[in-house]
Amino acid sequence: MRHACKKISQLASDRLDRPLSLLERLKFKLHLSMCSHCRDFDHNIKLIHKVTAMMHTTDYGQTRLSEKQRQQLHNNLNAIK
Amino acid sequence: MKKVDDGPHSWLHEHGDYLYRFAMSRLHNEDLAADMLQETLLAGWKGFDKFAGQSSIRTWLVGILKHKIIDHIRREIRGRNLSEAVENDPTSAYFNSNGSWSDAPAAWKENPEDLFSNEQFYKTLESCINKLPEKQQIVFRMRDITGEDTETTCKTCDVTSTHLHVLLHRARLALRTCLNIHWFERGNRS
Repeated sequence: MRHACKKISQLASDRLDRPLSLLERLKFKLHLSMCSHCRDFDHNIKLIHKVTAMMHTTDYGQTRLSEKQRQQLHNNLNAIK
Repeated sequence: MKKVDDGPHSWLHEHGDYLYRFAMSRLHNEDLAADMLQETLLAGWKGFDKFAGQSSIRTWLVGILKHKIIDHIRREIRGRNLSEAVENDPTSAYFNSNGSWSDAPAAWKENPEDLFSNEQFYKTLESCINKLPEKQQIVFRMRDITGEDTETTCKTCDVTSTHLHVLLHRARLALRTCLNIHWFERGNRS
């Protein structure tokens, strides 16, 4: 059964981006029920996925144009128009 | 049709911060984000006749900005020839020739909220993402951080969805290993 870990890790990753087919789901579930390494891998990348999803919302929440940038943009708009 | 109070100066005043934030969250570069904002305001001004008024000005400008950003990333990828062949498989390093794990993943007990609020972990995560090969980094950031859909990511990066899944698999394998070495194995959780 271990021969399939590489392929199963691809499915674990794909699962985060697309729905698996019925056959893929069965293969995935069956393998995970017997393989603790792949269970851990699946859990690890889901954990990373959750944390990175949170990064987006908070990272730039306080970001504003600086006064200097704003002034520069006004100047450029005047020059080009 | 063009009214003075609809001009790019007033757009900058009203929507500048919002658009800038949108650009920053995708480009992570202040000068570049400001450039994209400027191009967007100018393109908006030029094409203002086409603005049908069916959406708000902000939504319309965001639409323009999105395209500007996608064009920029496409140029970047093409210009620097950031291709990554599917055949050249870096994931072999994680597996034995029979497809079993060469370095088996271990259980991580932490929950995402605690990790996210831990500044040290956050820094480790950032530095692991920065170590990914450039194209993997671009698709990973677009999908997993910005949350773009698969279609937009593929279009921007000029890859098929199959290739995208291959790149993301590589990125996630590398990231998991990097975090395991630099965080979880060390036990430097606070």
